[in-house]
Amino acid sequence: MAESGQRPRRRRRPWIRWQRRAAEVRLAGVNRVRALLRRAFAPARAAQAGAGRWIEPRRRWVLPILAVVGLAFAAVLPLLDQWFELPGWMLRATSGASLAKVGLFALFALGLNVVVGFAGLLDLGYVAFWAIGSYTAAFLTGAATYAQEVRRSDEIIPEPQWQMWMWLILLAALVVAVFAGALLGSPTLRLRGDYLAIVTLGFGEIVRVTANNLASVTGGPRGISNIPHPAIDLGVVDLEWKTFLDDKYYWLLLVLVVFWIVAITRLDRSRIGRAWVAIREDEVAAAAMGVPVVRMKIAAFVIGASTAGVGGVVYAEQINSIAPGTFIILQSILILAMVVIGGMGSIPGAILGAALVVLLPEIFREFASYRFLVFGLALVLLMIFRPQGLLPSKRRKAELKGAVVEEQLFDAGGGEPA
Amino acid sequence: MGDCIDGVTRQFWDQTVNGLTTGSIYAMIALGYTMVYGVLQLINFAHSEVFMVSTVVALHALKEWFGVTAALHGATLIVVFLGVLLASALASGVTALTIERFAYRPLRRRGAPRLSFLISAIGASLAIQYLFSLMDGRHYLLFYRLPNLMGPSPRQVPRFVESERLFTIFGTPVTNKHLLVVGVSLVMLFLLDRFVNRTRIGRGIRAVAQDPEAASMMGVNIDRVVVTTFFIGGVMAGAAGLLFVVYLNAAANWPIGFLPGIKAFSAAVLGGIGNIRGAMLGGVLLGLAEKHGGACFGTQWETAISFVVLVLVLMFRPSGLLGEQVRS
Repeated sequence: MAESGQRPRRRRRPWIRWQRRAAEVRLAGVNRVRALLRRAFAPARAAQAGAGRWIEPRRRWVLPILAVVGLAFAAVLPLLDQWFELPGWMLRATSGASLAKVGLFALFALGLNVVVGFAGLLDLGYVAFWAIGSYTAAFLTGAATYAQEVRRSDEIIPEPQWQMWMWLILLAALVVAVFAGALLGSPTLRLRGDYLAIVTLGFGEIVRVTANNLASVTGGPRGISNIPHPAIDLGVVDLEWKTFLDDKYYWLLLVLVVFWIVAITRLDRSRIGRAWVAIREDEVAAAAMGVPVVRMKIAAFVIGASTAGVGGVVYAEQINSIAPGTFIILQSILILAMVVIGGMGSIPGAILGAALVVLLPEIFREFASYRFLVFGLALVLLMIFRPQGLLPSKRRKAELKGAVVEEQLFDAGGGEPA
Repeated sequence: MGDCIDGVTRQFWDQTVNGLTTGSIYAMIALGYTMVYGVLQLINFAHSEVFMVSTVVALHALKEWFGVTAALHGATLIVVFLGVLLASALASGVTALTIERFAYRPLRRRGAPRLSFLISAIGASLAIQYLFSLMDGRHYLLFYRLPNLMGPSPRQVPRFVESERLFTIFGTPVTNKHLLVVGVSLVMLFLLDRFVNRTRIGRGIRAVAQDPEAASMMGVNIDRVVVTTFFIGGVMAGAAGLLFVVYLNAAANWPIGFLPGIKAFSAAVLGGIGNIRGAMLGGVLLGLAEKHGGACFGTQWETAISFVVLVLVLMFRPSGLLGEQVRS
């Protein structure tokens, strides 16, 4: 057969196959899927065209300026209380601790947005990667061994002083989370959507139960404490993070969030991003067009996981002590709520969602016990009345409108059995 | 490894009795998942809350309506048991209908993508859980003071069924509670099986599961079938909730639904989701696996076992033991 002659050569130089395949994907695959999509959604697009773009292409310079102004505004937020007299609710919302929490969850929401929003995979065990990042930090800073030594001996042992290592630990946690993501993703991502959701849910619980039960390694339900704060000393820059209330945590997270926004925007506009759109819209068609479906799904999963790993390190070093009780399913659902409220697939939406979900209970503190009820109802209502979220991405909005156009007679699942 | 084999052999019959009982509770919850899946191809994530509502209502009915504080005997026991069963089953059925009406039907009408259903279900689940967490008599909802469902002492659970040893199997005592749980669930499962296979609406359910479009053309009222399915799933979960309270004497509370819910889902997948008899088999098998696994690795790993079973089944035999319901 003709194929048998080609096979050995392919095996010897797999990268050629990969390059050729990439070219095929780019040319024949995604573009054709997009063309199909465009035709399918033509009515929705036509309706949208009248609205026009909110910025003329000639005025593209507005965007960077807006970004810089927004960033400057975000950066001075924790200082507002020193400059102005603020009402109580605003004081609570702009304190270093709650802003750092916003930053942390914005990072998580950005990561989950890649998985849920870009690739359309519902991951309900996202908190597992946060836990993995946090525990990696606890092990690598020496806090875990310190806790064990304290338990063994009666003498006073100096606390771990591995503050300088934070930057390496960030990288290490990223790598560990990437491996964990690939490990979980490679068998499960072949499953269809709703099964994937429940398997990831199970994975999140397995990680938590393991951290809870392996007391000799993870400290059991009490967790690990005495994780040192980070520090940086480059001669010119000499920074030390002292308490968890330190405003510098917010700025650190702000830097990370900005870095992630840039990276993820670039990804979304790359070939990988287009492959995700194709997979999200119609997996079978995408596969038929040559998109490496499973590989692209794993890529999305791994990018989400690495984000959570990095956030987990910052969390562990800020709070100083971690325990399995933090990494419950509810956290995954809250992060999902942020992504959905902001708008799936929308980067500004993820930030807005994180800010809303974190700050609203801070501002309306007297109603804080109602927050989960409100978030739950918000998820249902959003799915009914505004599935594209508060700040939808243009692409996603068009797709969701398309779903209305292709209304189906009886089908509940909204599609053919996957 | 030695510990494992030792543990399993030493506690074999104990854990078998235990596992069969727990498993029959899982089987009843699993039916709700599997029937809804069969009809709508949709995982009803909020089903665990349907179960939770029934445990709360069962305890409320026991404590507040029937004023039970001590063990009951004879005819009173039967009357009270049936009364509470009715209350909890109805409460769960109504919860399931509410979820269907407000979280799913609007999306169904719009033909929303699959992801929307999952998110809406998660939202409904979260909302119901925290609505019940607010029911302690101290919170208001729109100026309406929420009732205190659990009474002044929420942790207290009346042991209204006295545990009596009836006979032993290989040295393992079997109590009336074991028999009650297994017996009630067998009766309910039998009735359900007859209902689905013998009645007109049951035939409608099967028809919609096979091909909703064709069923609708043949005059099956899809909405009625969906509502019936949700209600039956709710009633089964409601009965399971009462049995759960009786068997474990567990204090019902708002977060209680999650674990039984996800275990029952694992059971449904294990038996083949969409397959009613599969859910029954899967429930019992999962109960056994969990208890024997607990004897092997230690009880603190019981939860993890059901997840591992779920992942393994999905990876190696996604259609489950008895096979997924065929849908053309």
